[in-house]
Amino acid sequence: MEISINNLTHNFEVNPERLLLDVLRQEAGLTGAKYGCGEGNCGACTVLVDGEATRSCITPVGSMVGRNVTTVEGLTAGGELSSVQQAFVDESAFQCGYCTPGFVISTTALLLKNSSPSTGDIKSALNGHICRCGAYVRIVKAVQKAAGNPDHGTSL
Amino acid sequence: MNASGEVVLRIIGPPFSGSVQQTGAIPKSAVLLEIASDGSVFAYSGKVEYGQGIRNSFTRMIASTLEIEVADVHVILADTARVPYDRGTTGSASTRTVGAQLFRAANAAKNELAERKDSDGSGADTDVVEIEISGDEPSPEEFTRLTPHMGAVRIDGADRVTGKAVFAYDFALDGTAYGSLIRPPSIGAKLVRIDSARAAQVPGFIQLVQANGIIGVVGETKEAADRAVSFVRTRWDETGDDVSDWSLPSALKDLGSDPVSLRDDGDVSAGLSSGARLISGVYYAPYVANAQMEPSAATAEWGEDGSLTVWCANRGPFTERAYLAEHLGIDAEKIRVIIEEVGGSFGTKSQSVSFEAAVLARESGRAVKISYNRHEEFSTSTVRPAALMEIDAAVDQSGKLVAWDYTAFHAGDNAFRGRRGADSPYDAPVTRIRVADSPSPLPHGSYRSLGGAVNHFGREVHIETMARELGIDPLKFRLDNLSHPRYRRVLEEVALMSDWESRESSDGVGYGLAVGFDAGSYVAQVARVVVANGTIVVERVDVSFDCGQVFNPDGAINQIEGSVVMGMGTALWEEVEFDGGRVLNTGFGGYRVPRITDVPEIQVKLIEDPSNTPTGVGEPGIVPIAAAIANAVADATGKPVDRLPLQPQISAFSS
Repeated sequence: MEISINNLTHNFEVNPERLLLDVLRQEAGLTGAKYGCGEGNCGACTVLVDGEATRSCITPVGSMVGRNVTTVEGLTAGGELSSVQQAFVDESAFQCGYCTPGFVISTTALLLKNSSPSTGDIKSALNGHICRCGAYVRIVKAVQKAAGNPDHGTSL
Repeated sequence: MNASGEVVLRIIGPPFSGSVQQTGAIPKSAVLLEIASDGSVFAYSGKVEYGQGIRNSFTRMIASTLEIEVADVHVILADTARVPYDRGTTGSASTRTVGAQLFRAANAAKNELAERKDSDGSGADTDVVEIEISGDEPSPEEFTRLTPHMGAVRIDGADRVTGKAVFAYDFALDGTAYGSLIRPPSIGAKLVRIDSARAAQVPGFIQLVQANGIIGVVGETKEAADRAVSFVRTRWDETGDDVSDWSLPSALKDLGSDPVSLRDDGDVSAGLSSGARLISGVYYAPYVANAQMEPSAATAEWGEDGSLTVWCANRGPFTERAYLAEHLGIDAEKIRVIIEEVGGSFGTKSQSVSFEAAVLARESGRAVKISYNRHEEFSTSTVRPAALMEIDAAVDQSGKLVAWDYTAFHAGDNAFRGRRGADSPYDAPVTRIRVADSPSPLPHGSYRSLGGAVNHFGREVHIETMARELGIDPLKFRLDNLSHPRYRRVLEEVALMSDWESRESSDGVGYGLAVGFDAGSYVAQVARVVVANGTIVVERVDVSFDCGQVFNPDGAINQIEGSVVMGMGTALWEEVEFDGGRVLNTGFGGYRVPRITDVPEIQVKLIEDPSNTPTGVGEPGIVPIAAAIANAVADATGKPVDRLPLQPQISAFSS
């Protein structure tokens, strides 16, 4: 099956019921999306599918044919950090960083739809994510900072 | 990437400065820093980066001292083949021990390079110059010189926001096989029969392994191994029916050891009967899970010469190596442990997954990677021990404590685990502090300020309960009974931050205070909560924090905010439930942890006193928070609190 990942067409010969997260990590070699719970409960596996934040750990890869998948690796056009990625670095919006790709992806999806989100908008968009290090205060600040910058790092 | 072969300057010395943690087989001298002919600098430490930012601090400090770019500084951490022995990354001590020593090493290198420059650089530059530095306790002046060098924005941040950082869960070798484990359905279950005939027909099946108490399947892919496991038939003899939280908390005391006395000042029974009021309380903190975001994972590969290399996530590569050597029955010298990026630990991530991977790799003759799923992680990883705390305290007519008798029963095989934070800072002339251990039905292990966070809950809730019963303001009651100046300072500071004197409690709105000490640092917190419609909401937490001199204020505040959030989870929702030898809540649905909508406004004030040397930052922030929130809930509801978590006591289902 042909799937576009980070603007490259990949051809996978896999069972269409396999999970998108497994195919990304094991077949495409993209380990930015993380396994956290396997139940869509923690957000660590989040990727963009046609610009929508999507839990790749509960998404069958077969449903991705003809869709555009963007992982956190795909936000870095030309080696430059996207405004969301830069804001997370600048605000130290992480400690261990394991959950960070998921937060960055959902923030990117939020800002594509809503360029000036309220604090409430930010929290409700990110409530499906867990940061066990508890960097939430900084994550809110990073999203607010990124919202002030129009480049969200994806051409979708 | 070692600077081997082209090293021009080498600094050697003890890997730590000062006396902190200098126990065990720490070498008197080891290579700490090397400078290569191209000017690049390599620094070596056995500490682990798991989110606390030590790679950043060490790199920036060395670059700044030597006046070079951070890109030219390579800090090598946690690889037993490359770094000096280290006991483990615990106790919030990395910066003030290893960091201070690397600073000393960088300064020695700087002085040597300056001298060379003065002597026009015509020395025999083919020889490696070695300089030895001392491991003496750093002076406050040394820390003062170090402070401006520890920068804020993380140098390893870009790798974390782009997916480049390789965690143990991400690490892969070419040609690795994958392991999937077959576990007893309950604690203590014994295997009676096993049949892998159908599993062996699964495409990609390599081998069923039964060795060293481990049962697992090795497959060409993770999917193949998992699928094959689902076709292995087993029968178990289960005996774990009595392993249940129904027996808690009473079993902690009923089965507990004789308490060990940590302090015994004065005659306790005389003291307790001498006051005007005797106030007693019993407090319970249940088992809680670390629940770090990255589940356990490890890859193991054996060499033809019997050597073993393990890539994993753990708090100490050398403790991991010692464990593997002992349990595999091979020389530690034959084992190399390399710690990858660690996706959270907080005290868990013990040796089991590395050992399991090593056994499956040895038996199958392949490199093997094991990565737990979330259910396995919750079911098998170590948890923070539950504890029961009994307190009897007497006050005189003026509200002065005259006697304090504290006995804590901590689950676990070692009363030492419950020792941290058990002592009382209050001035009671008669004080007895005792801890006991009690058999733990669940595998238990470390946690952020293990023991400290639990003991503080009991003590600080009791203090506030006493103040309420005596009709004395909780801040005044503490200050009246606390002469230690650093405790007093954090209390007075947090009272100002929270506008304590003019707070207005009402039905459903409450304020709670708690003070604590951990890893050398003092911390006071005020929580404001709203209890409405059966739901507890923590609206605001003020924190005053005294860790002496501060190297990196933003990094410290990040750790303190994280501690407040983590401790809030233990206050409101977290409890590992188990019955019939099984953990019942093995996902984030049943085990509720704080999310972004739960997070209060958090204000942190650092008391940066240059006359006090730096102390721990990563853990002390968690010790008072559960008590501060519990005290606020008691204030809001008018009902005293004696156990955690709080939310199910208000309503089983929060809205």
